[in-house]
Amino acid sequence: MTGRFLLKRATKILLLGLLCAVAVYVFIVLVGKGMYIPSAMPLIGAGLITYISLSEKRYPLRWLLPGLIFLAVMVVYPIGYTFVSSFTNVGTGHMLSKQQAVDQLLDRSYAPPNATTYSYQAYQNEDGDLALVLSSETETILYANDEATSISSTDPRLIDSDGDGAPDRFGDFSRLSIPQVVQLLSTLETYRINFDGTVIGLKDLSTWATRAQLYAYDEASSSMTDLQTGIVYTAVEGIFTAADGTEIYPGYKVGVGLRNYINLIRDPNVSGPFARVFVWTFVFATLTLLLNFTLGLGTAILLNDPHLRMRTLYRVVMVIPYALPAFITILVWRGMLNQHFGVINKMLVGAAGGIDYAINWIAVNVFGTNAVLFGEVAKIPWLSDGTLAKVSILLLNLWLGYPYMMIICLGALQSIPTSLYEAARVDGARWWQQFWRITLPLLLMPLGPLLVGTFAFNFNNFTLIWLLTEGRPAIAGAATPAGHTDILISYTYRLAFEGARGNQLGLAAAVATMIFIIVATISAINFRMTGALEELSKNV
Amino acid sequence: MYSKHTMLGSIWRHGLILMLCAFSIFPVLWIASASFNATNDMSQQQLIPLKPTFQHYRDLFTSERYNYPLWLWNSLKITIITATFTVVLAGLGAYSFSRFRFKGRRVGLLGLLLIQMFPQMLAMVAIFLLILSLGDIFPWAGLNTHTAIILVYLGGAMGFNTWLMKGYFDTIPRSLEESAKVDGASPFQAFYKIVLPLARPILATIFILSFISTYSELILASILLRSNDMFTLPVGMSLLISDQYGRRWGLFAAGALIAMLPFLIVFIISQKSLVSGLTRGSVKE
Amino acid sequence: MKRVLLALLSLLLVAGLAVTASEAGKLLIWADDTRSPIMLEVATQFTQTYGVEVTIQEVGFGDMRGQLATAGPAGEGPDILIGAHDWLGELVLNGLVEPIILEPATIADFNAVAIDAWSWGNQLYGVPYATENVALIRNKALIPDVPATFEDLLDIAEGLTDLEAGKYGFLIQQPDPFHTFALHTAGGGYIFGTDEDGVLDPCDLGLDNEGSIAGAILLDEMVKRGIEIAGAGYAEVTGAFNAGNLGAMIGGPWTLSDIKAAGIDYGVSAIPTIDGNAPGVFVGVQGFMLSAFSENKVLANLFIKDFLISSEVMLSLYIMGDRPPAYLPALAFLAGNEDIQGFAAAAATAVPMPKIAEMGSVWSAWSSALELIVNQEQDPTTAMQDAAAQIRSLLGCE
Repeated sequence: MTGRFLLKRATKILLLGLLCAVAVYVFIVLVGKGMYIPSAMPLIGAGLITYISLSEKRYPLRWLLPGLIFLAVMVVYPIGYTFVSSFTNVGTGHMLSKQQAVDQLLDRSYAPPNATTYSYQAYQNEDGDLALVLSSETETILYANDEATSISSTDPRLIDSDGDGAPDRFGDFSRLSIPQVVQLLSTLETYRINFDGTVIGLKDLSTWATRAQLYAYDEASSSMTDLQTGIVYTAVEGIFTAADGTEIYPGYKVGVGLRNYINLIRDPNVSGPFARVFVWTFVFATLTLLLNFTLGLGTAILLNDPHLRMRTLYRVVMVIPYALPAFITILVWRGMLNQHFGVINKMLVGAAGGIDYAINWIAVNVFGTNAVLFGEVAKIPWLSDGTLAKVSILLLNLWLGYPYMMIICLGALQSIPTSLYEAARVDGARWWQQFWRITLPLLLMPLGPLLVGTFAFNFNNFTLIWLLTEGRPAIAGAATPAGHTDILISYTYRLAFEGARGNQLGLAAAVATMIFIIVATISAINFRMTGALEELSKNV
Repeated sequence: MYSKHTMLGSIWRHGLILMLCAFSIFPVLWIASASFNATNDMSQQQLIPLKPTFQHYRDLFTSERYNYPLWLWNSLKITIITATFTVVLAGLGAYSFSRFRFKGRRVGLLGLLLIQMFPQMLAMVAIFLLILSLGDIFPWAGLNTHTAIILVYLGGAMGFNTWLMKGYFDTIPRSLEESAKVDGASPFQAFYKIVLPLARPILATIFILSFISTYSELILASILLRSNDMFTLPVGMSLLISDQYGRRWGLFAAGALIAMLPFLIVFIISQKSLVSGLTRGSVKE
Repeated sequence: MKRVLLALLSLLLVAGLAVTASEAGKLLIWADDTRSPIMLEVATQFTQTYGVEVTIQEVGFGDMRGQLATAGPAGEGPDILIGAHDWLGELVLNGLVEPIILEPATIADFNAVAIDAWSWGNQLYGVPYATENVALIRNKALIPDVPATFEDLLDIAEGLTDLEAGKYGFLIQQPDPFHTFALHTAGGGYIFGTDEDGVLDPCDLGLDNEGSIAGAILLDEMVKRGIEIAGAGYAEVTGAFNAGNLGAMIGGPWTLSDIKAAGIDYGVSAIPTIDGNAPGVFVGVQGFMLSAFSENKVLANLFIKDFLISSEVMLSLYIMGDRPPAYLPALAFLAGNEDIQGFAAAAATAVPMPKIAEMGSVWSAWSSALELIVNQEQDPTTAMQDAAAQIRSLLGCE
């Protein structure tokens, strides 16, 4: 017994040691890349894991460790990243880091006034070394071993052994065919040949040309000087700008502090329809929750009945909406709800017509008069009327979401001991009393937080709104483009992505953070009110 | 709670259920009809296609550009692995929250919940860069690998799943584990041998939920998977309708219907675990 | 416990190989579904000639910009991508694409409007290959002759429309500013005015000028007469046309393959004059771009110049996508093609779609205005004025 214990202990220590070794390796790699902040993570992580694994007091945390690691890396870190980017102006024109933008600009070249073009031949020896012979009208240059030297056009090393007028060997290097050159193009294009004070670079498949760098960068003043025109561009919030306002691209992202947040709060574009959109978002999330839960629970109770035949078949059928990917079904519903072309209206019109026909038939043959119940039925504008569009959204969300509620209720119903119901029945309780006093309270305990979660999910349910209505129909006379079915996230994201100048990702990140604060606050309040957390401490 | 049905009781129950089934199924019938319809657009189709054809199904499996069978296999592979590990991770965490009292328990639980509420859309850029860097260190877990995407999905393993399981574990009396401890079992053995078998319904539930959410996940997959042979089903299918002016509804509908089948199979199999009633004090029904 | 370890190990085996992007010495091309088949053929030829590997990755047209913005700077982007000219504003500002240098003789072989569309600040950022614009597409069985004026078209349409029976005379897909633009321009409407240098001035917004409003009023009239109905989007309009239930629509070359497949006898012609003025349409130009983060710029340039710019390739692209070639030698081949002539006639007064990034703010507001008009929730004048006000405030103009 002690032997096994020792073995387990040894294995554990071995694995932990391995983990720390890997963490150190990752640390070294990251430092080598210059990523200092992220490089601390593996060390901290490995340290924590080792501590938790070895400390007896932290035993409960060991159970949580695997899940928490994934959570920390894949969920918490991206949230942190998004949060940090909300303090920058990242977006169109500011996508790159400063280094990347500078590198790209420094890479640009122009042909100086006295540019020379060279035709060339490429040669390679057995070891794979390259030699290039460039010829212009006046010069012949040999480039080998990173050195450029001037040679004569009749250099004896240029051997034309097949007599076609073009040298096919240079010393012990033989000439490369065009396909071979093409395969090397990407390497060749990185060469910069320094010759006689000029820089020569590859221009295309058959030419090299002198090139001059277009910009010079001054790190101290963060400015780019256009060497061709002499204009100096200084960095203004990530874009190199000249005195007269001309800008050169690309720009890079810079921190802007709280500006995104201030804009959000102060900007009339945002505050205009904001209240209206917020109210609908809240109503939508709440109603969805109520409707979905009611139908889901009701269905679960029905289908939990052991006396009901074909239970499994029914459950499978009802779970089908959940089994199909949402983006498919939402698009199908969108087509079905189309006012003139959609099948739902066609069916309704057909049904009304049928009923009218029957009523008329009865009226004529039984009472001797004509009668009509529906008459000319207008086609319902499901998606073009503001209120009906909201109804459509709720209806579709019900269709999409009640199977989920059904599944979790079915699962949670199993946790209620049947003995409770037995006891209640013995005491003479009717079925609705059993439901209100036993089922519902005992379900809300485990499901409570999930319901809050569903609320939060729908608060941010961008996909549904976007695919079904894109927020439409438009609100007439709004200060910014806003629709009747726009929820907070679709409205504000649209502002960020279709605002002044292309995509403003920093602004969108600020939006995401603000929405998170709103939703989290509402949820936290909910928790306090329902005392869900109290249950935690009382739970024995 | 349930008593035997009267005739009337049977009728209204089945009637109600049938109405709900019709509500659920109707759009799916539409999709099925589109998959047999020769024309590729939705607005002009009738419920029963005028010229039914299997062409779309044939195209799905023989198309050179769209390797549907491979996408299906990729999706299944990733989904089953993710769902299994999700159950494991969430279960371990839930047990700890349920049975142990430790510092940070309440905060942890609340935090788990609140974290899920951050709008995930922008996190995509961060995850992309993260996996990119990961790929530089461990090439087999970088961009365009299935390992990477499974790891990212496992980030969401804890969260609501843990809450759901914890709630279920809370209803299992501790007396059983206590007596096991007296017999010398470690907490893990008590968990593994006693609690888990009793928790089959919730394990099945979490598996199903994780399965379907992983299976239909589109956004992350389209960012992390970059070449055709790595695509999962949703990513591949979104290619079919991504062109604003050229949607291939018929093909798409056929693909959607077939895509649905694996989940339904999993669901049916898992129904056996959703057993009514639970032991209380080891009295079995 | 051991089982878990085994599972983890097998996980590693199961992971696929990573396909990297833009590697030196190989070419990676991003193309959407209509273009990738042709690119595959061209790619095979290139590989046969030079032995360089070319991979075509299919990326959705709408996703390409977003993917390039994340993948490009991270070194995971393509070498060449195929897209629309109005992407330039965003792509150039983000430093995602690189200028392509062509010889003047080569440039002369292209449609001048196309070259202009792909230029930004005196540099060419893409090689155009197809122009697309909308025109009037009519069902010859229902409307045998080309209507002389727009009013004539509306009269014919009113006669053909029978909502109960699902028959329609003339539909413009809504809410769609791109397709409705013709109505606004006939009276002198425009989006962004140009200053003396020909540069677009975002604050000179023409959406609420007389001509634009006249177009909106015309749309409103169409709705009131029962010709235009709510909920008619692209799928619905083309679906009805292909089923023979629609007399005429405003559409582009991308609709033709489905129309031909449906067997409709169709005709393409310029949009009829409105009040004596020929309506101008938007022209969009598709082209090949070079990623700024490519590691094979010279190689990519070679691919583009020596392989893509040729009559054969341009013609194959036409055959696959039905869009008139921007490469004039290829276009000459199609002189006898009625459809091309029809689209060309409509494009006689074409305006390139503005490619500045500010355009993004315009589409939503304009769409909303059109939607409100079609739903009869706002009168056309107020709708256009509101839209213009929204755009001005979004752009921060005075």
